[in-house]
Amino acid sequence: MITLDNVTLCHRDRPAVHHLSGQFAPGSLTAIVGPNGAGKSTLLGGLMGRIAPSTGQISLPPRLAGHIAYLPQQADIDRSFPVSVLDVVMLGHWTGPGRLGAWRAAGAVQRAQAQQALAAVGLAGLERRAIGELSAGQFQRVLFARLLLQDAPVILLDEPFNAIDERTTADLLALLHRWHGEGRTVVAVLHDLAQVRAHFPRTLLLAREPIAWGPTAEVLQPGHLQRASLQATHWEAQAPWCEVPAPAVPRVAA
Amino acid sequence: MTLLASLHAALVQPFVEFGFMRRALVACLALGLSCGPVGTLLVLRRMSLAGDAMAHALLPGAAVAFLLVGLSLPAMSLGAFIAALAVAALAGGVARFTAQREDASLAGFYLIALAGGVMLISLRGNSVDLMRVLFGSILAVDDAALLLVAGVASASLLLLALVWRPLLVECFDPGFLRAVGGRGALHHQLFLVLLVANLVAGFQALGTLMAVGLLMLPAIAARCWAHSVAQLSVIACAIAAACGYGGLLLSYHAGLPSGPSIVLLAGAVYLVSLVVGTRDSLRARFFTAHRHRVA
Amino acid sequence: MTRRPNRRQALAAAWALPTWAAAQTPTARLQVVASFSLLADMVAVVGGDAVQVHALVGPDADAHAFTPAPADAQRLAQAGLIVVNGLGFEGWIDRLVRASGSKAPVLVASQGIAVRALGQQVDPHAWQSLVAAQRYVENIRAALVAARPAQAAAINTRAAAYTRELAALDASVRSRLAAIPADQRKLVTSHDAFGYLADAWGLDMRAAQGWTTAGEASAADVARLIRQLKAQRVRALFVENISDPRLVQRIAREAGATLGGTLYSDALSPPGSQADTYLKLMAHNANTLLAALQPGR
Repeated sequence: MITLDNVTLCHRDRPAVHHLSGQFAPGSLTAIVGPNGAGKSTLLGGLMGRIAPSTGQISLPPRLAGHIAYLPQQADIDRSFPVSVLDVVMLGHWTGPGRLGAWRAAGAVQRAQAQQALAAVGLAGLERRAIGELSAGQFQRVLFARLLLQDAPVILLDEPFNAIDERTTADLLALLHRWHGEGRTVVAVLHDLAQVRAHFPRTLLLAREPIAWGPTAEVLQPGHLQRASLQATHWEAQAPWCEVPAPAVPRVAA
Repeated sequence: MTLLASLHAALVQPFVEFGFMRRALVACLALGLSCGPVGTLLVLRRMSLAGDAMAHALLPGAAVAFLLVGLSLPAMSLGAFIAALAVAALAGGVARFTAQREDASLAGFYLIALAGGVMLISLRGNSVDLMRVLFGSILAVDDAALLLVAGVASASLLLLALVWRPLLVECFDPGFLRAVGGRGALHHQLFLVLLVANLVAGFQALGTLMAVGLLMLPAIAARCWAHSVAQLSVIACAIAAACGYGGLLLSYHAGLPSGPSIVLLAGAVYLVSLVVGTRDSLRARFFTAHRHRVA
Repeated sequence: MTRRPNRRQALAAAWALPTWAAAQTPTARLQVVASFSLLADMVAVVGGDAVQVHALVGPDADAHAFTPAPADAQRLAQAGLIVVNGLGFEGWIDRLVRASGSKAPVLVASQGIAVRALGQQVDPHAWQSLVAAQRYVENIRAALVAARPAQAAAINTRAAAYTRELAALDASVRSRLAAIPADQRKLVTSHDAFGYLADAWGLDMRAAQGWTTAGEASAADVARLIRQLKAQRVRALFVENISDPRLVQRIAREAGATLGGTLYSDALSPPGSQADTYLKLMAHNANTLLAALQPGR
């Protein structure tokens, strides 16, 4: 159970996530949606421990520390770097079952597991290819293979299907469902509401302020969506300082 | 004389006959071994000019040590090491805690260091001291310098083997490293320590201006021949070692100054690689066969 | 090309003129600027209290790598006499004198000596021969007397005494050298500055580099030298106070020769040390050489 208690995450003095409270239940499959600039990626950063909350607290059970798998936006990775597909997938063993960490050498068993992961995402045979030579869809599959290998109880994904073709999206969504079926907690930041409605049982609608958090059908109602889009997506230059400890969040029954 | 005998006389005899040639060769080989991977990482991290900046940052430390203690190799190396580390730490700190980017803060601090070093030397010493501090001579490698170079090379290789994986990951996917608790900042600092150590060892052998040449040129030339990081490092080592050997022979047979011979030979290898290398070269760009496989 | 004096130059001249004029009065001390420390010492000995000498390149400094500071140009402008070595030793002096606008006469101290060649060029280190040094003293004496005729008597006396001391030292060294057979007078230094000394005293001296300290040795030069040292069984190697001693140590180690101590070539040592006047410098060099050449070492 990941609990957020009145969490505010800021860039300098501007909140990207403003007074958010709620929980990610273990084994849940949650989508985070909202307009651009709504703080969704920042929230993932906070969950990972990369950004410290300005107010409130994010509580993780101790066994989860260091066992959160994270899929970054592709732009954060330097694809011109000369490493092969297999090298990237093998990194999953850092915290995965091989527990190789930073130093231990990989053996034949770990290599075989990595190849299996590649096969599971449909990239068998591409082990030696340099990552710079892959298409966006192929590279996304590689990152998913790494996630597979990491075998983590919590998986966070930042816009996993941006600019990915339909076939790849369908395959990877199937993986997400598989993980959900295995009892892992999966949280994904997404833009495509149709996808969310079709595949994600729970949703958090975020527009800096939390608009709604609960079962998808009830969260993605027109009223909530309208409120989210009205919420200014630009930073107001001289907004007053925040005095409110925690605004009311329409908590929809789980 | 038979071909074999004359080849022997040209390529092997100078090293058999003269101890200073052997020492110079060992120093070059040792440096080449550690400069290979370090230079490769520098190039891949787009820090190719940072090597030169750090080489200049060595000066005030060496100057202070020289003015305090005299021409003592351990003192000057230590002073240089501390000065360069200080510049790296300050530049990194400023980049982290202010809006300044790392290349700007590094430029700022190394210029301060360089000017400070020149000022120190001209206030207390005179011009010849500056030259002596700047240019080591590979022909005058004594026991202490040889130990330093070999020691630094061994330590570098050992350390690199240990932290190779996090160092690489920090280059291309720092987010992943953070996610698994990999302490990217620590490894970055460790890399800078390695860089400074190799530069200090190189400056004792070749001088500050040329230490960077042996660090950068082989790694840059290697990009025209290989792609994976491991291959790049190995090829860079090989080029550095070969240029050390070849440069010494040039200096021996043609009477050219030894340091510039080695670096210019590396430069020539780079130019040739640019033209005829198997990848990222002019040949690959303009002269590849126009065939393609079936879809 | 004529120069029109602008306001700044006029101001500078107006400020410098009284100082310069004051310095030129017959009773004031003659301001002399010498190019380097050895010459400054000679001028100070001959001139005594009639002169105030300043050296551009101070003790323990390298004249080949000298970079002038604005204060140097100022001193030249206010000097009554400028003394240089000549023979190409100070490559920078002509431009500096022109830039300073100095009106002072320039004495080339090495006029009239028998020059020797080194390769394509003239060897400038003439002061290393005590015979040539006596000629230097004579030239300095003449220039000082011309500038301060009122003190000619004192100047001439000092010059004569100095010349006697130089000649005495020379004779003493030659007689001690006579005890050493000619084929055992082989020495090597790291700097080709002792050609005149070697010629004057009949020594065989070789160098590892050319006579400027700016050049870097090649492996071929070093190898050649080591071969020669080994073949001729040279016993002693000398390091001088302003070039890289590490190279010489390496050569000595490899050729099985010993390091014979420090020889001073282009500069006096700092005040209070063993070679802080020209006379002491030459005496020190001679003693060091003789000690290294003693049979049985």
